[in-house]
Amino acid sequence: MNMRIPILKLGETLIVSIQWELDDQTAIQFQEDLLNKMHATTARGVLIDLTPIDFIDSFIAKVLGDVINMSRLMGAKVVITGIQPAVAITLIELGIRLENVMTALDLENGLDKLHKELED
Amino acid sequence: MDYRSSVEIYTEWDIVAARQLGRNEARKIGFGTVDQARITTAISELARNIYLYAGKGKIEIERLYENGVFGILIIASDQGPGIADMRKVMSDGFTTSGGLGAGMPGVRRLMDEFNVESELNVGTTITAVKWLR
Amino acid sequence: MDEIIDQWQEQMQEEKGELFFQYMSSEVVDKTSRQFAELMTSNLLESETINEEKLTDFAEKVVRFSWSIKFVNKAIDRFGQIAFNILIEEKVIHTSEIKAYMDIYFEWINPLRDSIVEAYSIEWERTVNLQKIALQELSASLIPVFEKISVMPLVGTIDTERAKLIMENLLEGVVKQRSEVVLLDITGVPVVDTMVAHHIIQAADAVRLIGAKCMLVGIRPEIAQTIVTLGIDLNDFTTTSTLQRGMQEALKLTNRKIVEGESL
Repeated sequence: MNMRIPILKLGETLIVSIQWELDDQTAIQFQEDLLNKMHATTARGVLIDLTPIDFIDSFIAKVLGDVINMSRLMGAKVVITGIQPAVAITLIELGIRLENVMTALDLENGLDKLHKELED
Repeated sequence: MDYRSSVEIYTEWDIVAARQLGRNEARKIGFGTVDQARITTAISELARNIYLYAGKGKIEIERLYENGVFGILIIASDQGPGIADMRKVMSDGFTTSGGLGAGMPGVRRLMDEFNVESELNVGTTITAVKWLR
Repeated sequence: MDEIIDQWQEQMQEEKGELFFQYMSSEVVDKTSRQFAELMTSNLLESETINEEKLTDFAEKVVRFSWSIKFVNKAIDRFGQIAFNILIEEKVIHTSEIKAYMDIYFEWINPLRDSIVEAYSIEWERTVNLQKIALQELSASLIPVFEKISVMPLVGTIDTERAKLIMENLLEGVVKQRSEVVLLDITGVPVVDTMVAHHIIQAADAVRLIGAKCMLVGIRPEIAQTIVTLGIDLNDFTTTSTLQRGMQEALKLTNRKIVEGESL
């Protein structure tokens, strides 16, 4: 039962859509896959869409935060899109603020934001 | 209406099973999406604590009905090492596992009632309740 | 019977402070009085028990007319007194037997008073709850103003329960309206203490997570003073004194501005 999350490349951007509930193993595998792909393709932007995800606990939040920091170290900008209201409220109540993370309402807005960031 | 179901926690996969059970139960009771997320997240944190610190244990979920209000009760129990310093564990940002340290105080914020009973080298039982508004 | 009601009405009208007898039409007064009298005598005539349906019906009415509990109590007292006096005048009761009649009297009045007060308080609680729900429903709606810009005016005191509701409505609204900037207007919030500020900061943080920007507008001078005095850190977000200036800021953020059109 080890499913990999597909990572798509579009121009200079890597697009990841997380479609199902993340278990710990998949999350860590994803972290590794994304960094490898980034290294291999010299992508400058990463977009992670979380629209179908209906909860995030502190472990997944940590993996996400780590991915973002690691990507930043490798010189890429990351946008998280589609965090559901219920997920945002639980994260805040857990005390996880995900500071310094770029966010957007959906994929379209996210790509816009990312492109603007990359132009600067 | 005494209705209780439980999941034994041995592997990481059992964490997923526990939160799925919790979410289904919360949905059946009639909780909205936000409360479903709160309950699922709380179960996930509690189950992970069992997995990380005690190795094995149990998550039990029970439907409550008191004074005309429905609710959900989560019991997380293990026979692990117990909690040495309760104050530290309940403070934000404290972690021994390299996590975010949001677990225990976070669960307390997500739920309406929260109680920890722990004895060193005997085990820990955590109960948490969420009422249907 | 009619005599009791007439006397009772007369006496109650003299009670200052209750506007019921002064402002309601005599028809309504008469009907309510009759209902009251019927209720008062119901446990004398029929069976020993008090008619539940009549009781709730009456309590509901009285609460709606906003009688105070004190007034209701007084009404019961007066009714009993008048009935008692009339019975003495009519020589139904003789002074020699007064002790026995007092006992009967108390057995009549006390359970009645208990039930009426209980029905009254249940009804009162129900009304308060209904009002609470009504308040919740109207208290936090996100209003789309321009494309990508929405406003949520907050009015009244914010407690934890309301704060949660506000947060949920805010986030659901942002997603539904696809807003990029939301203005939280606290002009109508009387007091901003640490707890209220904490809730506002949380709401703003959650808005950021779902991908929009939250601005706090309508900060009155005294609110600014308390915020700084309490040492609350609001530096992370944009704040403005008025909704108008907040709106200009929001338009700037979404690359727009208002220009004066030429009159035709």
